[in-house]
Amino acid sequence: MSNNVWIKQSLRLLGHELRRGELTIIFLAIVLAVATVFSLSGFSHQIQAAILSKSTSFIAADRVFRSSQPIEESILAKSDELGLESALKLEMGSMVFANDKLQLAEISAVGDKYPLRGELLIQNVQGGVKEQKAPKPGQIWVEQKLLDILGITIGENLEVGMAPLEVAGVIKQMPDASFSVFTSGPALILNVKDMPKTELIQPGSRLGYKALFAGESDAIEEFEEWIKPQVNETQRWYDIQSSRSALSASLDSAEQYLTLASMLGIVLAAVAVAVASRRYGQRHQPMVAVFKAMGASQRHITKLYFLHWGLLSAISVGAGLLIGYVLQEIGLNTMQEQFELTTRVSMMEPLVIAIITGVLCSVAFAIAPLKQLVTIKPLAVIRGFEHNTFHYLQMLPAILALYTLLHLFSRDWLKSVVLLGGGALVSIILLVLGQAFVSAGRSVGSKSGRALHLAFANLKRRAKENSVQLVSFTIAIKLLLLIVVIRSDLIGQWQAQLPDNTANRFLINISEQQVDSVNQFMEELAIPGSGLYPVVRGRLTAINQDSVTSDVSKEEDKDPEQQRRGVGRELNLTWRTNLPDNNEIISGQWYSAEEDKAQVSVESGVAERLDINVGDSLGFQIGSENFVVEVTSIRKVDWQSLQPNFFMIFNPQVLSDFPATYISSHFVEPEKVQSFNRFLAQYPTISMIDVEAMIGQLRSVIDQVSLAIEFILVMVVIAGSLVLIAQVQASMEEREREIAILRTLGAKGSLLKNSVLLEFVCLGLVAGLMAGMAMEIAVYFIQTQVFKMSASFHLEYWGIGMVAGATFVGVMGMISCWRLLNMSSVTLIRRTM
Amino acid sequence: MNSESDIILKVSDLTKSVTLENHILDLLSDINLAVSAGETLAIVGASGSGKTTLLSLLAGLDLPSGGRIELKGQAIHTMDEEQRSAIRAKHVGFIFQQFLLVSSLTALENVMLPAELAQLPNAEQRAKALLEQVDLADRLNHFPSQMSGGEQQRVAIARAFITQPDILFADEPTGNLDSKTGLHITELLFDLNKQNGTTLILVTHDEKLADRCGRKVIVDGGRLVDDSAETLSKLRTVNE
Ligand SMILES: Nc1ncnc2c1ncn2[C@@H]1O[C@H](COP(=O)(O)OP(=O)(O)OP(=O)(O)O)[C@@H](O)[C@H]1O
Ligand SMILES: [Mg+2]
Repeated sequence: MSNNVWIKQSLRLLGHELRRGELTIIFLAIVLAVATVFSLSGFSHQIQAAILSKSTSFIAADRVFRSSQPIEESILAKSDELGLESALKLEMGSMVFANDKLQLAEISAVGDKYPLRGELLIQNVQGGVKEQKAPKPGQIWVEQKLLDILGITIGENLEVGMAPLEVAGVIKQMPDASFSVFTSGPALILNVKDMPKTELIQPGSRLGYKALFAGESDAIEEFEEWIKPQVNETQRWYDIQSSRSALSASLDSAEQYLTLASMLGIVLAAVAVAVASRRYGQRHQPMVAVFKAMGASQRHITKLYFLHWGLLSAISVGAGLLIGYVLQEIGLNTMQEQFELTTRVSMMEPLVIAIITGVLCSVAFAIAPLKQLVTIKPLAVIRGFEHNTFHYLQMLPAILALYTLLHLFSRDWLKSVVLLGGGALVSIILLVLGQAFVSAGRSVGSKSGRALHLAFANLKRRAKENSVQLVSFTIAIKLLLLIVVIRSDLIGQWQAQLPDNTANRFLINISEQQVDSVNQFMEELAIPGSGLYPVVRGRLTAINQDSVTSDVSKEEDKDPEQQRRGVGRELNLTWRTNLPDNNEIISGQWYSAEEDKAQVSVESGVAERLDINVGDSLGFQIGSENFVVEVTSIRKVDWQSLQPNFFMIFNPQVLSDFPATYISSHFVEPEKVQSFNRFLAQYPTISMIDVEAMIGQLRSVIDQVSLAIEFILVMVVIAGSLVLIAQVQASMEEREREIAILRTLGAKGSLLKNSVLLEFVCLGLVAGLMAGMAMEIAVYFIQTQVFKMSASFHLEYWGIGMVAGATFVGVMGMISCWRLLNMSSVTLIRRTM
Repeated sequence: MNSESDIILKVSDLTKSVTLENHILDLLSDINLAVSAGETLAIVGASGSGKTTLLSLLAGLDLPSGGRIELKGQAIHTMDEEQRSAIRAKHVGFIFQQFLLVSSLTALENVMLPAELAQLPNAEQRAKALLEQVDLADRLNHFPSQMSGGEQQRVAIARAFITQPDILFADEPTGNLDSKTGLHITELLFDLNKQNGTTLILVTHDEKLADRCGRKVIVDGGRLVDDSAETLSKLRTVNE
């Protein structure tokens, strides 16, 4: 006698069911959910960590506090208290001397821990390149360009301010190298301890004090909460996202996309589990009824199924983890190089999330059908089973579980609520629409051919079942379309940011006399460029006769625009007949060439900050001359575009008489670089800034992120396909019975085949169409709300959705039904009895 | 004369009705019946007359709308689903009109099922022996879908006998079989009845099968029509 009969029976059942492939769908669904979550979250976890560490390298830290005053001790004390790493950095432009030559250099005085993130690569005397922290006191590192200009080599001394310091190495890569057209000169790094010796810190000298912070994200966040309220207008607190790197926006979108795609993957997998477990419940009804009729108690059945399901879940979760791990490794290995995934972050978190996902999926999405299953009455063996007792309330645990999953995964309740709420709303609308479609089919069907008639009759007979099916088809197709559309928009937008002919060389300090020969040279060699912009240094002195100098300068450093060029101080002014590329008039009008009146177009950020509107008059001082111009337009400038950008653009009448130097940007193809350099060698006063390397770095990151997105796309497509397959499978039993009956009633094989095909194709078509519409709405919100891009319309994807839906559902349906359709009626009847 | 203690099943004033959308449909009414231990009883009647309904009530699969059912002296009409399950596991065997084998279990496992549920020892040996008796020794590991209707029926019979139930209900046990197999099954049923003293209650359309039973009752329009005076007199004594 044993009391463990239920265990034996449970294991026996599981064995048989697994062997006979009855549990394949549910197994695959859970495996997929877990594998998707594990690989996606694990993968994006790694990639995000890599992206983050790569991108934080653009600021050499996780967060930066910048001030025009020395950093207060209290701030550093607080950071120590929270266990953050910190490093100080002081930035200034200053002349450096060697061999009686002098050159303006961009000087960074850094603390010993600099950089906290990213790599500072220094080449030593022997020519070897090594990763370094700050230089030793008494030593400095400089850019090669500086050595060339001054005519010295490594090992020689160079005077920084009052201090002679030894050049100990050449900077090959600086994690937070500033990129600006107006950078004062080549970079020079010295230890902050040498600063007093240089005597460069004088009252009135223009210094930027920075404190760099890095550490655990929790601690960073706590610190951020503490410091943010204290940041005044002369200070700035920023991270990689808010620092104005051309990369930051792309990275932000990438992160959003990865999360979003993963969330959609979870939803799809969950739907697949829900569909499959519903079918499981129905399939097991006769068995439970027989067990009960044979005297099995409710408890016995419950225990039996608890174990059965538990084991199934455990096996599936285990397999899912394994597959997820393998996929993730494959993915990571292919990107090993690009992402420099040398250090793997802990996989604990994705692992836990994946396991929870598996358990939640297998429990929450199966609990309603399973509960229905174990409570079935033994009388059902005689009186038959209730099918389709499907209450929407049963969805509640599932929806809660889904929410939990999404939240767990995204850590973003708003996104989770929106996704779920939106999903629920769409489902309800689709359900109603679906029923309408199906009943509309009735009248169409009665007027059409036999196969079509039969197809519509079938659709109608299972109207409720079908509209549920339609909804899941629709949602699956919609999510797939969504991912595809957003992906191409996103990648397209990134690539548009860096077109193939992105300017890779900037020329500054071109004199009036050189303009013609520069233009001529560029024309001869067909080197595209921005054209030459004259630059006149001047000061904004008044807005509508009010002097602004004081309140403008008080506000300096308030935000990035201002930092680039402090308004109230000297500005780079330019004049121009045509509106530059990547500039957009947001109010007023660009001046026409004929007008004589003095006019200026103001950049929107400055205009907002200084409350300048179209029609205001601005006072400027250039040299000793004062003049007043009217603002006739406000421009939005794309600061991420690699071209000269200006706050103030005048019409030629105003400035053309002032002495100006010119700047321009060019795209120089590799094969023209030599001639380009040779040409410049004739004009030593023209400075050239080479941003080729930086663009290359940007491109490679964007390429890699795009690759990551392709990977996630594939995963989501698989998840979506599984939903479709599970759904087609779910209707199989019912269909089997129907086909058997129709066959015996004399329906011809070809008629049945056509009608089944048509039924699936119709379902797919309608689902594709509805998916297209639903996708459009979703894309609109996601583009405008999440990615802050401009919305776009994707009519072609509606078509793709319909064609893909019809094809896929049709093919899947036919494949699943093929065996049935080709069976003899006798076999069919035997099977369904 | 049967004494009260020999009565294994006693039914009095049994009614069963179902509520349909707008009216109440009486499926069974006024059923009175007493069955002695070891007796063989045939229930016959036209299709739709209520035979299966009656059988499912007697076996405790369903609850009556009125009246009493006592099985082995226990009032099963007062019991809940769980208690009736326990009674079924202990005392009742059932052969269904549609066999109702568990499609995901093999023949052997199907037969073992009730013995396991009743926690009887040696379930496997017993099951094998029974399957041998029904000539299916070579089909132990086949699934129901791999067997013919008659073979499935025989598995169902073996399954019904494994617990050596005190009472066995069979709903048209030969209805799906050719006459030769049907005869074979009939022999089996009566053999097992003789060997184990199992009370047999059969629903059948087969006159020959009905005639082999010790007693025959007819269900007509949900009422019991007895064709023997003996039964009537017995009923009278029991009800006094
Ligand atoms: N739950 C129910 N609701 C409505 N009618 C029912 C229900 N259960 C049984 N019936 C009806 O009761 C009648 C008796 O059914 P039952 O299955 O007992 O007949 P039967 O005598 O076994 O017939 P057969 O010989 O064809 O098996 C039938 O007309 C049946 O339709
Ligand atoms: Mg019947």
